[in-house]
Amino acid sequence: MSTRRLPAEPQKIVSIDAEYLSGRRFPYQEDMGLVEDIDLMAATPGEDLNWLEDIHLLIEDGVPAVFDRYSNSFLKIYFAIPEGREDEIARKVLIKHLQSGNSYGITLKERHCKYPQPELGPWVEGSRTVGTDYHRSILEGWEPPEH
Amino acid sequence: MDTVTTGATQEEPRFDPRGLVELDARVPRVAEIDGDRAVFDARELTTRGINLELRRLLYEEGVREVTVQNPRARHSIGVGLLTRAKINFEGSLGYFAMGMMDGPEVHIAGRVGWSACENMMSGVTVIESNAGSLTGAAMRGGDLVIKGKVGARTGIDQKGGTIIVMGSAGSMTGFMMQRGRQIICGDVGPGLGDSMYDGVIYVGGKVKSLGIDCVPGEWTDEDTELIERKFRIYGLGTPPQLQKYVCGKKLYNYDTLEPSERKLVL
Repeated sequence: MSTRRLPAEPQKIVSIDAEYLSGRRFPYQEDMGLVEDIDLMAATPGEDLNWLEDIHLLIEDGVPAVFDRYSNSFLKIYFAIPEGREDEIARKVLIKHLQSGNSYGITLKERHCKYPQPELGPWVEGSRTVGTDYHRSILEGWEPPEH
Repeated sequence: MDTVTTGATQEEPRFDPRGLVELDARVPRVAEIDGDRAVFDARELTTRGINLELRRLLYEEGVREVTVQNPRARHSIGVGLLTRAKINFEGSLGYFAMGMMDGPEVHIAGRVGWSACENMMSGVTVIESNAGSLTGAAMRGGDLVIKGKVGARTGIDQKGGTIIVMGSAGSMTGFMMQRGRQIICGDVGPGLGDSMYDGVIYVGGKVKSLGIDCVPGEWTDEDTELIERKFRIYGLGTPPQLQKYVCGKKLYNYDTLEPSERKLVL
């Protein structure tokens, strides 16, 4: 029986990391002062925290982290988090990440979304609309089959 | 079959090579806009026409509050709306109402069919009457309030958010629930919380039977705060006496999950 040799996967990793997806670390991961003024109530629909109720401080690779569901990745937090404010800080870092447009899922919208939608999602008022002129990606050199 | 109505003329539906109907994508532009508010009558519009009009108003016109008259229980209305806005439906909606929404605050004056707010990411939906089965299926976040009764498998595969039902719920409520909260004020059918991984279900009435690995939970101050807050926000009156149910955690071990599987439950 012949065995097919699979191509190497140099980028295969086991962690799910926002820094890896974005290719860089963000200042608000290291400086709590950059997220202190985030208004969580203003950033969410309704009269309480809405979807942020389900966002909690977690641990990834031994480091405090918050999960970004819009890119399926963890955003690690490197500054010391005051006791009793764990979830609040995690939520503020996540909202800062989303409002800044740095979530990897947001960066993919410009190229890949098929239907019109706000680029930055519901966390930012007046965000521009993307997806109004979708064309599917075609690999270079690809020809459509004759049949 | 649905046909397209644009103004006074009616067009035949077209079909793509797969045989799927391909309705006209022209935006109806029938809404009356007054500042950041708009209202339109959906009586003569197709499902696609209604959704295109909603998207035009919210994405292009900067409207922050829309009233839709005569939705006539159309299916798949408001699916995939991804912005903050208030939307009022003056009537009932059909299947998959407001699915996958992320941000809107929605009021539905009538009933809804199957799978209302399935995959809802954030926002608020208040339904004045009953909802069908699979309400809030795979919901990820936000609040879903049903003032009537709901069918079977409410919040199946729920991964976040809060579902509040003022009436009773059918069988297999909270089936495979993974996170989030359900508050059922009435009775619940057989198989409550069957195979749930996590999350909390509060029940005010009788439970026909518990599902596999669903057990009574210990009440905490956080539970009281949550219930009182949600009832106050949505003007639901005094909460009934509730029993809390949680996962017995006999059936799973998250530590053995692959990272790709783990992220599905976060």
